[in-house]
Amino acid sequence: MSKRDNYISCKFCESVNRYSDSNKDIYCRTCKNKIGNGKEASLSTAWALLITSIIFYIIANSFPILVVEKFGVTSSNTIIGGVIALWEEGSYPIAAIIFIASVFVPILKFFLILYILINYKKPQGGSRKVDQAKLYHITEIIGPWSMVDVFVVAILTGVVHMSAVKITAGVGATAFVLMVFFTMLSAMSIDIRFIKEGKNGD
Amino acid sequence: MENLDNLIICKHCDTLQKRVKLPKGSVAKCVECNKILYRNVKDAFHKSIAYSITALILFIVANLFPILNISIGGQKSSLRIFDMIYMLYNEGFFVVGSILIVVLVISPLVVMFSYLTLALIIYLKIFKSVARYIISFLIISRDWEMLDIFFISILVALVKLIGYAEVEFGVSFYALLGFIIVNIFILRNIKVVELWTMFSREYNVKKR
Repeated sequence: MSKRDNYISCKFCESVNRYSDSNKDIYCRTCKNKIGNGKEASLSTAWALLITSIIFYIIANSFPILVVEKFGVTSSNTIIGGVIALWEEGSYPIAAIIFIASVFVPILKFFLILYILINYKKPQGGSRKVDQAKLYHITEIIGPWSMVDVFVVAILTGVVHMSAVKITAGVGATAFVLMVFFTMLSAMSIDIRFIKEGKNGD
Repeated sequence: MENLDNLIICKHCDTLQKRVKLPKGSVAKCVECNKILYRNVKDAFHKSIAYSITALILFIVANLFPILNISIGGQKSSLRIFDMIYMLYNEGFFVVGSILIVVLVISPLVVMFSYLTLALIIYLKIFKSVARYIISFLIISRDWEMLDIFFISILVALVKLIGYAEVEFGVSFYALLGFIIVNIFILRNIKVVELWTMFSREYNVKKR
């Protein structure tokens, strides 16, 4: 089976499909779902969604994600501010979790998607280059974990609404949640056929 | 031209290989990376029904009762998923609230109901034409189901709360934990490719 480039596994039913022209849309022969979008469409969609999510990420980081009202005094925390506050309080593991989930993972994901998009369909010789299919896999796995911070904010909002202390989400939370949403869409819109071609394209 | 139905591509390393018929209870592994390609699970639909009903019950419990009960300076409050989302809506966070509804309520429900209906379709041999839509729904919503991440977030939030609040776990905390464990069992035991092969005549599952 030397021409393995021309086989693709459907992401819905996992049945094997054969194709000749990777610039066309492809529908699964068994479950009739759309597997791939064709190069142009999938490239531009992924770029657009990625840029959108980067913009949202910048917004999310420049506005407070958490607003604490203690005895009438309001203080607010941005993502980084929250991490620093936790670190100074001495809860290092939690500070590390929040940092990894809401700073490190999104940025890593941006770079992974960027890398995939830039090297899209460029032939990669030999094994010394990074395996793009694996990278794509990683982005899919780590993607949702950046939601941790938003969930924490939502939990605190839901539970701390006393007369003395009141915690609410900030504008940053909305931007952050949209950022996660658009990065996931961006990763999903990449047509896996080209990643595969890049992998054995010599 | 070989029949495409006799082929399978490994999800982990993209190696194309031939399918073989499996005896019941055995596993086919990839020739390249040795990861599991597919299994012939004993009583896959019984398991599917059992797991999904368990998960649904746990999910309902997790939504009905409080996850955490806290008290700060004598004032008490409790955390429930719906209350939390309602709170967010109240504070004007429509986007956050809506996305949380999707990832915490709708997606898990769709996933579990899909498993259940798929098993029933196979068992009762009715509405076979709907099956492929259900599988697509299942795959899409599985990507958006984030209850496990939510659970970790509860633990993180706990650490933040523990400084100035008295916290005790509610029933739903354990229900949620149970749901996540059952979900892991489902993901390990019931693979989509097997669900699909149960419908298609070609492979090993022409048993009943």
